[in-house]
Amino acid sequence: MSDDPPGVDLADHSELDFSTVDVTVSPDVEAEITRLLQENGLELDEQINTFVVCRKDGHLVGCAGFDRDVIKDVAVTPGLHGAAISLRLGSEVTKLAAARGYHDLFLYCRPDNAQRFRGWAFYPLVEIPDVIALMENNPVALAKYLEKLSRERHPGKAIGGVVLNANPFTLGHRFLVENAAKGCDWLHVFVVREEAAQFSYADRFRLVTEGLADIRNVTIHQGSKYIISRATFPGYFLKTRATIESSFTGIDLLMFREHIAPALGINRRYVGTEPFDATTNCYNASMKHWLADAPSTAAPIETVVIERLAVDGSPVSASKVRALLSAWDLRAIERLVPSTTLAFLEGQATPARDRKQGGW
Amino acid sequence: MKLRRSMLFVPGDNAGMLSTSFVFKPDSVMFDLEDAVSPQEKDSARLLVYQALRHPSYRDIERVVRVNELNTEYGMKDLEMAVRGGADIIRLPKTETAADIELLDRQVTRIEKECGRPSGQTRVMAAIESASGVVNAVSITRASPRMVAIALAGFDYLVDMQSERSGGSEPELFYARAAVLHAARAAGIDAFDVAYGDVNDMDGFMREVLIAKNLGFNGKSLIHPRQIEPLHKAYAPTAKELAFAKRVIQAAEKAKREGLGVTSLDGKMVDPPVIAHAEMVIMRAEAA
Amino acid sequence: MDIVRNAIAGTLESGDVLVKVSPSEDGTLTVHIESEVIKQFGRQIRSTVMETIKALSIGAATVVVSDKGALDCVIKARVQAGLLRGAGATDLNWKVLG
Repeated sequence: MSDDPPGVDLADHSELDFSTVDVTVSPDVEAEITRLLQENGLELDEQINTFVVCRKDGHLVGCAGFDRDVIKDVAVTPGLHGAAISLRLGSEVTKLAAARGYHDLFLYCRPDNAQRFRGWAFYPLVEIPDVIALMENNPVALAKYLEKLSRERHPGKAIGGVVLNANPFTLGHRFLVENAAKGCDWLHVFVVREEAAQFSYADRFRLVTEGLADIRNVTIHQGSKYIISRATFPGYFLKTRATIESSFTGIDLLMFREHIAPALGINRRYVGTEPFDATTNCYNASMKHWLADAPSTAAPIETVVIERLAVDGSPVSASKVRALLSAWDLRAIERLVPSTTLAFLEGQATPARDRKQGGW
Repeated sequence: MKLRRSMLFVPGDNAGMLSTSFVFKPDSVMFDLEDAVSPQEKDSARLLVYQALRHPSYRDIERVVRVNELNTEYGMKDLEMAVRGGADIIRLPKTETAADIELLDRQVTRIEKECGRPSGQTRVMAAIESASGVVNAVSITRASPRMVAIALAGFDYLVDMQSERSGGSEPELFYARAAVLHAARAAGIDAFDVAYGDVNDMDGFMREVLIAKNLGFNGKSLIHPRQIEPLHKAYAPTAKELAFAKRVIQAAEKAKREGLGVTSLDGKMVDPPVIAHAEMVIMRAEAA
Repeated sequence: MDIVRNAIAGTLESGDVLVKVSPSEDGTLTVHIESEVIKQFGRQIRSTVMETIKALSIGAATVVVSDKGALDCVIKARVQAGLLRGAGATDLNWKVLG
């Protein structure tokens, strides 16, 4: 409308309708969203169920998907009101996530869009050029975290890092850490923080601490949202562990290389061989690429692969221990875990245990 | 006498609009804490509106605050803020009975006393949004000396009537408009016509403006700045009307000087209502 | 008044600020301002934010303000809203907030 008084923005006057949609129950809207994403060079992420959508005259002109604290699949029809739509979308998603209890938010986007999301008050964390960028809605959180981490620095030439899920802590984990620690002046161990495993983070962390108590040159760090989390490595936590894009392992590994490692002076990353889980195997295989070969602002980090501990001819794995636990085969478990883990597992109730003990 | 042709609705939770709406120079600006604001944002909007009320940019525009109904958890807090913030008028939504206005009046009186605002300075207006409001309009307009205006809220009223807009001359609004107007005139206060919701349909808007003006409404509730200027233009007197109004004022002043009680002009009596109307015409002309 | 939970107020739109409030991790008051006009108005924005925080007797909190060209009075209102939400406060003391 060319007669508008100056300063009037249609977006202010409710010509745009915003709503929230669950695409798993709205296939029509899902199709519209898929189209809009494709027009913007994006693909619908199967993990994203919730979208904030913007309509003008009934047409979908903007969408922003999110899963708890991670925002993805943001697209806006380019045009006159693109900026206004984008900002409203950002406000709505932020408010919606906050209403659900998520205040610390991450966002994935194409690197060439990162500037737009600065307008959403998101700040860049790490990026794979021309592929994908990870951002966070806090300008100082990472810096504060790294500053806290750096207080745990130790002097030395060889400073190692290893990340464990430890679900639960086994002799295999012990073997890996022991050998890594032998090869370093100091070793930093991180425990994955996500509550997505059979055993709670608190239990896993405690078992790691107990199981490594006697190793002198080790610091065990609390996990964080910056190290193998749903934000940095969503593929790790998918229920159906299909092959994941290498670009996402890159995000987590670049976070490690560009932020975590420099804070502690880590120059080598230890990892065990992974014969069982495809996702983890893919991640480990790409470690050398992202930690050393890929172009980055940070110095390369050496990847050291340690052959898994084998007991009775089989590599020790936490999944095997969990399977044995459901069968309540404590005798077999005893050969695979340290006494501290065994004591913990004995206190766990399982259906098999209850059956054996005569419960229902 | 205050010109009240345009009352621009501004959502109370929109910082950008609160910061800029004064540039459109409506006769009155209505900061809305009620329907425009979601429950989660009522607290934040209240704080924003408080700032807007005290901002120099709005000093020369009549500032109205639409509070939430007083029996909600928000209404009384809105009222405390608005009176202390210096709102010129409190607009009470969904006014149904005189008792609603009497309650509002008592609360405003209390707050004025507590915060040291001159008693009676805060005015009020009723918004009629239901059949009950329409049938009680007469007692509503007389329920408080603070009353300066009564507005008809078309959409909610029609919902209450189980009817809907039909376009054209809209017979479904006729009785409500007439009732609200009569109540306003009998009480000597202003009357506002319904808001026009389709901001892209300026033709429909102008048709409605003319209906309202001809019926005698002082003005209209507006939801978009682009409606302001066309509305003001429609209310602007014709040259002929203006010329006559000026002559009326001159005649009245002459009569006063000569100590005559009443005079006549072109065969028409120039008594107080005619003079008041002429003053209004001149005001509208000057403001157009 | 103590900040006991995370809270946000405001929007990303032009003329507004987005205010994020969270409990302090170390008992201090940390205020971070982001703005496209940080050079010209950074000091002014910070001053408005600090005054607002002090007026509500907030001793410790982490406050992040993302400015989109807001007037001082808008900043004040949104910071107030964020702090009150973060404190779980429902009653307003208008003498203080004025």
